[in-house]
Amino acid sequence: MPQEEPALDRTRIYRLDPRDHCRICPLDDLVLLYHVRSGQTHMVISPVPEMLEAMADGAPLSASDLYARLAHDYDLGPPDAAVAQIGAQLQALEALGLVRAA
Amino acid sequence: MRHGLTLRIGPATFRIGSAWRTPIEALARLYAAYPDGGGTVADFTVRLQPTSTLRRWVRPSIFITGDHGLADAAPMSLAHGLLAAEMGMNLQMALGWRRHLLLHASSVEKDGRALVMTGESGSGKSTLAALLGERGWRLMGDEFALLDLDSGAILPFPRLVSLKNQAIGVVADAVAPDRLGPLLRATAKGDIRHMVPRADAVARMSEGAMPALLLFPRFGHEAALRPVGQGEAFMRLTQASTNYVALGEPGFAALTRFVTGVPACAIDFPTGDAAFEMVGRLWEGGA
Repeated sequence: MPQEEPALDRTRIYRLDPRDHCRICPLDDLVLLYHVRSGQTHMVISPVPEMLEAMADGAPLSASDLYARLAHDYDLGPPDAAVAQIGAQLQALEALGLVRAA
Repeated sequence: MRHGLTLRIGPATFRIGSAWRTPIEALARLYAAYPDGGGTVADFTVRLQPTSTLRRWVRPSIFITGDHGLADAAPMSLAHGLLAAEMGMNLQMALGWRRHLLLHASSVEKDGRALVMTGESGSGKSTLAALLGERGWRLMGDEFALLDLDSGAILPFPRLVSLKNQAIGVVADAVAPDRLGPLLRATAKGDIRHMVPRADAVARMSEGAMPALLLFPRFGHEAALRPVGQGEAFMRLTQASTNYVALGEPGFAALTRFVTGVPACAIDFPTGDAAFEMVGRLWEGGA
């Protein structure tokens, strides 16, 4: 039986904790994140670097809040789809230990 | 151990002990031009010991061990004792070296700049480095390139070059017989013959060079050249490094500096001559 993806919780609040500080190195085709605490290297592409940048002040944010911040600088397309994508990325980043549930 | 020898290769010193005389004699002959490592505390110990007491005399069978060992390392016959010693030294470096980022790569130097080549076993990186070392380049190493964490330079590790299978004939024709070890037939890696690097490679083995070009060679294919992006280069170099994870943040800093500063290309080549032509073109073209 294929496992179903957990339903996206649009109200879940995330924040970037200083303890999860990453050393960032943009390469020509992707961005490297070195997570100092775990010693793990992550290779990421848009929109992950932009999301982490927008969370840099450590404020607690939902997917919708983060969408609002990103929409200032980027054309994200239809809001519903963009919020869903941001929410899914936040879930994945939490699983990697790069952001935390607030 | 009954027989022993201390060798210095690049920045590493090895104490090799053996229950048998012949592997140590073979090493002493081939490493005769290297600086004497005696009197210093060795970084690593390599031990060639019998798999059992009886196996010292009856169908002698070598178990390779040392400071760092692999529990499931397969025993080798005494006829392959030289290979066992070389494998033992490689194993210590791969498992224990922490002073530099260790890349499973060959490297050669010209005009103070280093060409680094990495790839799977059989890719031709070792043979290509050996041949370039006979054609005006300085061989820095055929197996490991050491990336300095502070300066970003590549440091040499010019151990004996390990020629395998068809590479033996190709390279053996280009060097004097006294620079070649015995032909070791039917080892786990096929036929193997060791080659002593040229005297200048040994004399300058403490002298690093800044990397100027990274190649991913692949022997046995139609000639082709493809630029490699920084992300792919980074990923392949982490796979080619035995201590990237262990070094932590300094390893990340050194490797990102390398991939952002050094152009990278994948080259496929059908023959050595095709490879020389491609390497020459890339090198002259602004590497």
